[in-house]
Amino acid sequence: MWGSFALLLAVAGLQALAAGDAIPLTFENWRPTLYAYVLWGTCLCAGQVLVRGEQGKRVLFVLPATLFVVSMVVFPLLFGLIIAFSNWNLSSPDGRQFNGWDNVVQMWNDPFYWNALTNMVWYTLAIVVEYAIAFGLALLLNSEIRARKFFRVAFLLPLMLSPVAVSWMIGKSMLEIRFGPISRFLRELGVENVSFFGNPELARLTIMIMDAWTFIPFMMIMILAGLQAVPREVQEAAKVDGASGWRGFWEVTFPLMLPVSITAILIRIIFKLKLADIIINVTAGGPGGATDSVTSFIFREYRDRSNVGYGTMLAMVYLVLIVIAMTALLKLTDRWMRPRY
Amino acid sequence: MKLNLYNHAVRNGLTRRRFLHGSSALAGAAALSGAGGILKPARAFAQSDVRAEILRIPGVGAGSPTDADWQRVGELCLGGTRETVAEGEFEGVELTFMGLNNQNLHNFLFRGFLRSWEEYTGATINWIDLAQADYNARLQQSIATGTVDFDIIEMGAPFEGDTAGRGLLNEMPEWVAELIDMDDYVDYLKAPVGTWDGKTYRVSIDGDTHTFAYRTDYYDNEEFAAAWAEAGNDTPWAPPKTWEEVNAHSRFLIGKTDPLTGLDAHGYLDPLKGWGGFGFYFLENRAAPYAKHPDDPAWLFDPDTMAPRVNNPAFVQAIQDVMDLIEAGAYPADQINADPGTTAFQQFLAGTGAMLNWWGDVGSSARTSDTSVVGDVVGFDINPGSERVYNSMSGAWEDTPNVAPNNAYIGWGIYVTNRVEGDDLKRKAAWSAAAHLGGKDLSLWASAYPSGFQPYRNSHFQFEEWEEAGYDRAYIEDYLGSNSDSYNHPNAAIEPRIPGIFQYYSVAEDELAKGFAGEYGSAQETADAIAAAWERITDQIGRDGQIALYKASLGL
Repeated sequence: MWGSFALLLAVAGLQALAAGDAIPLTFENWRPTLYAYVLWGTCLCAGQVLVRGEQGKRVLFVLPATLFVVSMVVFPLLFGLIIAFSNWNLSSPDGRQFNGWDNVVQMWNDPFYWNALTNMVWYTLAIVVEYAIAFGLALLLNSEIRARKFFRVAFLLPLMLSPVAVSWMIGKSMLEIRFGPISRFLRELGVENVSFFGNPELARLTIMIMDAWTFIPFMMIMILAGLQAVPREVQEAAKVDGASGWRGFWEVTFPLMLPVSITAILIRIIFKLKLADIIINVTAGGPGGATDSVTSFIFREYRDRSNVGYGTMLAMVYLVLIVIAMTALLKLTDRWMRPRY
Repeated sequence: MKLNLYNHAVRNGLTRRRFLHGSSALAGAAALSGAGGILKPARAFAQSDVRAEILRIPGVGAGSPTDADWQRVGELCLGGTRETVAEGEFEGVELTFMGLNNQNLHNFLFRGFLRSWEEYTGATINWIDLAQADYNARLQQSIATGTVDFDIIEMGAPFEGDTAGRGLLNEMPEWVAELIDMDDYVDYLKAPVGTWDGKTYRVSIDGDTHTFAYRTDYYDNEEFAAAWAEAGNDTPWAPPKTWEEVNAHSRFLIGKTDPLTGLDAHGYLDPLKGWGGFGFYFLENRAAPYAKHPDDPAWLFDPDTMAPRVNNPAFVQAIQDVMDLIEAGAYPADQINADPGTTAFQQFLAGTGAMLNWWGDVGSSARTSDTSVVGDVVGFDINPGSERVYNSMSGAWEDTPNVAPNNAYIGWGIYVTNRVEGDDLKRKAAWSAAAHLGGKDLSLWASAYPSGFQPYRNSHFQFEEWEEAGYDRAYIEDYLGSNSDSYNHPNAAIEPRIPGIFQYYSVAEDELAKGFAGEYGSAQETADAIAAAWERITDQIGRDGQIALYKASLGL
């Protein structure tokens, strides 16, 4: 176990020194270190059983997964942090160079990033409306209506579509100003020159609607599952007690659905914070950054401008903001759901 | 005559009457020239036969070519491969080819063109297809991370600094240079383009220049002409020759009706949305005649300091022109969301707008693409000029007319990477495939039909060949003339082959988008924002290196 660990340290150290031109050795890639890591992991797992017996076998349920997470999440995250504090433009012959807090300073003065963050606030707020629609649809599909099964499947279809497909089918085709069926229909109604993406506010709203169309079914299906788990007797008891339809919903169904609702909203927020595909394909962030999301901006900075160091710093800061926001949100909802008197 | 040959000829569109007519003509020729001439035809005659035959596949007006057409063209142009490679010589060789899939062209055609090559040589090709916008990033990442995973690449000359400059390319063997007849290239595609440190790396398959396309039905329209005169204009209603006229025509057409579609008429189509950096070329079209002074080869940067010129009065004028047209409502309603692909293929070729600047393949697509409705009403010219030009050296405007075509991107080429080194058979296979795609005859077909490529060889400008394919003489003289005049113009604005050039263009697109959306106070403010961003990129990549390479690309 210790031997394999020493081997891992030796190989990794050797490769690191070679990469830094400190020793006259060249490696084609980092596979030797990877192989040493796998060997160490195997020895470590085997060693647990040999040294600790039954207790070691129990550790085996967790240890491989831990090693996997360390190699696939923790290590890339740490490596990403190193890149985030680097000046690394892929076109630069100098390669990657440590540049301290320069990327943070640049981010602080970057109006594109702040604009994208502001847009994200609007996009995230739209979830409230999405939730209301999803709840309404779920109630509808939970009631005794005709062709209920058909509608359940039909309403779920948008979720099965890739956002890229939605971008092209709707954003680039159906909303196309000249040939798109929606534009033609509006022209028939006498609305001339409808531009869905020409005006900043309308463009942002159209993106919100396209994204909502794709993901409302996700919230709807979660709420529907929750509604189906609510015993009918509860509603019937409310009716017997004289509750109107609205009071039955507001004072019985809605509170009972809160845990499911909060889970659905939190997951939806996570999806929303990653919003990029539709924007990249339809507006490229325009007009003038009105529809830019943080992810689409990072994508442009990284992809079009090969600015790896700065792009990674933006992504890291965004990650920190998301972690803080989600933690705060979870705490708040927890306190709300389980008040401590 | 063998029955199978007769059937083959008839299958390819020859009627019995025309076949018999041709046979008797051939017999007559044989009688006049002697049997030897017919039994052993001269190579030039045979080549000419192939060229005529491929130009009839599928034929102008016969719809867009299909995969079967591309395969047939590839098969007919296999002569060079047969001369240099034995059948089955590359059996077992596997090559990886990275290229584009724009408009379902580029790699889609290459697959068809190379099918018969694969069958004949025994090699197999694996394909990496990339969208235009993803191409630059993929290439840059491969270069920077040392993960070049392709043997052959379709690449533009602007990336030669990034690739050849870092030793990632394989030098072209002499036999390839002879086979593809590089002397036939138009002058501006000859060295130093395709070379680095005196070594040649590129098989050109394209020549790039932006040409001006306009709708002839707009300018033949008597109502427009009368209204133009009534509005007090003392110039004739005719295709514009300067950007000042382009802008005036665009304003004049507001509120008019398109003579072809019956929808709203529009003037010049500026793409106002970015396109992975490629959108900046379209502002360059407007800026070139203002900014490219005939006495100064530089126009984007100061060659001694790399200080951007993008915020000088010439570029600011170009930006201001666009802003004024936006303000006037001269563009289609959704123009702010139109990238160059939209302006060419969804707007101009589909009948929206009177004027457009684009690469030359709009000319071949206008008549041969299924999606084009303007084939009979389109005319061509070089990039419009200007009534004045800015002299960056003196820092003042000069009131002299100026013309400067924008030879944007310098065309696509096929390059072989250094992955083939150490394996002679693989190297020969890679270069053979490249030579096949850049062959003289095959390139003629590619320049005549939708392919993503435009004419780039002197031999592509033989009007008779195009006429034989079904083009009318006037159209083809117009279209080819605009290309030829742009390539050979003494004041052409040529792309600098410096590392990271698309980073400059990409960040400019972002700032322009903000300017066009009214988020900056003025054109000057927009241009200043671009210049500041360009300075940061130059510092990041390395100013001294950029200065040296920029000067080299300008021949200074």
